[in-house]
Amino acid sequence: MDKEQLSPPYWKWVPAAFALAGIIVFVFATFGPPASSSGFVAVLKGAIEPFAPDYVEGKAHYRMSAGPGAWVFAFVLGMAIGGFIAARTFPVPVRDIPEIWEKRFGNSRIKRYAATFAGGFVILFASRLAGGCTLGLFISGSTQLAVSGLYFGVLIFAFAMLTARIVYGSAGKEGQ
Amino acid sequence: MSSQIWLGLVSGIAFGFVIQRVGATSPDKMARAHLMIEGAIPRFMLLAVLLSAIGLLGLLASGAGRTLIIPTSLVATGIAGVLFGIGWGLCGYCPGTTWAAAGEGRMDAVFALLGGLAGTALFAQVHEILIPLLHAPTNLGQITLADWFGSDLAAAAVLVAVFAASIFGIGMLWERD
Repeated sequence: MDKEQLSPPYWKWVPAAFALAGIIVFVFATFGPPASSSGFVAVLKGAIEPFAPDYVEGKAHYRMSAGPGAWVFAFVLGMAIGGFIAARTFPVPVRDIPEIWEKRFGNSRIKRYAATFAGGFVILFASRLAGGCTLGLFISGSTQLAVSGLYFGVLIFAFAMLTARIVYGSAGKEGQ
Repeated sequence: MSSQIWLGLVSGIAFGFVIQRVGATSPDKMARAHLMIEGAIPRFMLLAVLLSAIGLLGLLASGAGRTLIIPTSLVATGIAGVLFGIGWGLCGYCPGTTWAAAGEGRMDAVFALLGGLAGTALFAQVHEILIPLLHAPTNLGQITLADWFGSDLAAAAVLVAVFAASIFGIGMLWERD
């Protein structure tokens, strides 16, 4: 037990950043700028098209989007598989409610799931308005020196930090 | 099946694995990053961008790779950044990490993913209204730092300097690392 505490299982940020950058450059070489919020559109397009082909055909956002079978679709499914493999081989147990949230709001699953549903709703709505997310706009964009990615990046970090202070209040400061 | 499916799948698996290992799929760690308690995740993100920018420069110099610059709209990109930050601070997930975290088996991430699909569906429904209203009028086009600093090399040098300073700054300002 003590030994496990002495060497935390998480990778250090420097080697992990080298690993991620290697993957990102590989993606630029074999596909183009990596993106994940486009994967949501591709999944949705694939889900709606068989039932309402006219609706999908009539909507610009689906028309300009890739569908199932595209790189972005495979990428988000791959991320879920990668997360699955990583968690199965990791000593820290997976939680449905984060510790810091439980300390602040208790262990109500309904409350936590409602909050993440709302949060997920907002981040994807916003990503589609901007044309990308943390990966597709901030990381991919800044890698290409795009002003859009840097502008978006400054705002998302600033407002996430502000929101976290409001959400967690002093609960975030207590203990480890 | 096209090779793009397999490339996407393999890239996704590697990406999902790495972000889980560094702790970016943990909403607990993400909240602690936002609260300035732990600096590892933001430093990881910024260093990954810094290294990728250098790598991409090399890739393009060797004639390989494909780029696509997303346009900057002062109003639309700005509003989206504010909304995105609020959602990120609230739930501790971003679009990419929801997939990896749902794969890990985190139930709250599954709900973030479902919420994300609903948010995408709503945007797709109102795209024809919002893009002309918010995006188009202040669209500055596909501008990059190279437009401001003269060349890709000079722009990349500026980016590397600013990101390196930010990584250093986070190390100083965030309480623990």
